[in-house]
Amino acid sequence: MIWIDGVLVSEGKGGVYGEKMLRNCRIWDPYRSKLAAYYHKGCGHELRKDDVVLYLGAANGTTVSHVADYTECVYAVEFAPRPMQDLLAVAAKRKNIVPIMADASRPEWYAPLLEPVDLLYMDVADPDQIGIASRNSVFLKQSGIALLMLKTRSIDVRSDPGDVLAESIARLEESDFVIQETMWLLPYHQDHAAILCAKK
Amino acid sequence: MQSYWFGDIDGEGCHPFVGSPADQAARLESIDTDMAAYIPVAWEDAVRCGFAKDRGDYLQKLRNLCFFIAEAKIAEHFTSRDIELVQMVRMLDELDDVINLLTERAVEWYRTKNPSFSRKYRSLSGRRVIQVMKKERDRAFAEIIADIEKLQESRTRLMRDVTALADTVIPNCSALIGGLVAARLVSRAGSLEELSRLPGSSIQVLGAQSALFSHMRTGSPSPKHGIIFQHRRVHNADRDVRGRVARVLAAKLGIAARIDYFRQEIDQDFLNASQEAVDRAGEGT
Repeated sequence: MIWIDGVLVSEGKGGVYGEKMLRNCRIWDPYRSKLAAYYHKGCGHELRKDDVVLYLGAANGTTVSHVADYTECVYAVEFAPRPMQDLLAVAAKRKNIVPIMADASRPEWYAPLLEPVDLLYMDVADPDQIGIASRNSVFLKQSGIALLMLKTRSIDVRSDPGDVLAESIARLEESDFVIQETMWLLPYHQDHAAILCAKK
Repeated sequence: MQSYWFGDIDGEGCHPFVGSPADQAARLESIDTDMAAYIPVAWEDAVRCGFAKDRGDYLQKLRNLCFFIAEAKIAEHFTSRDIELVQMVRMLDELDDVINLLTERAVEWYRTKNPSFSRKYRSLSGRRVIQVMKKERDRAFAEIIADIEKLQESRTRLMRDVTALADTVIPNCSALIGGLVAARLVSRAGSLEELSRLPGSSIQVLGAQSALFSHMRTGSPSPKHGIIFQHRRVHNADRDVRGRVARVLAAKLGIAARIDYFRQEIDQDFLNASQEAVDRAGEGT
């Protein structure tokens, strides 16, 4: 990852969503992006130049654009029409983004479009986030890594976020994953945890 | 045999599919992938297949297809009429907020010009207040009041349009609780499709989210009604049967939304039975 005086940046053409520039690099704001927050907390997994990424919950494509700056290719899956319009605008300028308009919980629909990926990144607001992750693990290479941004409040508003995390970890280990690291994204994001896991 | 976006691969080799993005998209829809047997394809296979020249060419062709699919889906989404209805209702509610805000501020200003006004205006309706303030001679002030009046006219016109559109897009829901409230329900749910998938119990408390969540977090009493409170048979009902009326009405609305979404026509028998059920719920025990 590229740091300039403690500021996380990515190399690429600016002006995607009004992000600030620093020495010709795009500043990646941890308060806006959960992935940037994860790196600010001292990460365990870095993006590599030749990585192919499957990005679930691409939304407006702000974080996607930074991931695309670092990696070879990003398959960005988003379901809602309004954010998809913004994502298309971002993808039009970055040739290594493949925008897929589909429901991440139904991978059988977009499976014919995909290739094996090095990183499965997931930031979806769905109560069944863990189920979606395990259904999409089929796209991971054997050496692949999954990075989940767990929105504990989307999974269950009533439970304590800590309990939701513990339960999610247990469910992940039951399916196809081995947990490597978990951390809360405070102070950047409330009630969000990052879970890094490898394929079994 | 495995089917991918660029062709089929089986024991004998690879059969590329040649066609425009539209043809490719249609073929993609027909592919029924069995996830248990699925293997993601390597892009090199598409090159070996003769479909693409290299990595760059592969990605470019894939992107063309994905852009085509996404743009088609977005167009389809935005041309459905309930989405326009949602935008109209949201504009209407926004107009209400703006008109109230401007009127309140204008009254505060007007009071400094006419200190005796404060007592009078308590008993006046919003519209009457505007009529009174219109007589003020200050040019800037009078112009703002004229603008507020214009906004009120736009609001009235928009409300008529919303009701008319609701009558055609969601006829059954509109017949049950009136076009405006029905349109608000669709707006809260996001779209007619989403409303039609909600159970009656969710429809009953649509628009009462904060009360619902405080109920779930702290165990305070559950909300009896959200948006449907705006319907006269709910807010005019006696307090002790209001919850029951809201529940029955919401259940019928759930069915009405499904008829509106899947059949798009009015169902008079259903409506008569429903109206009767709601009325019966409103009679005391």
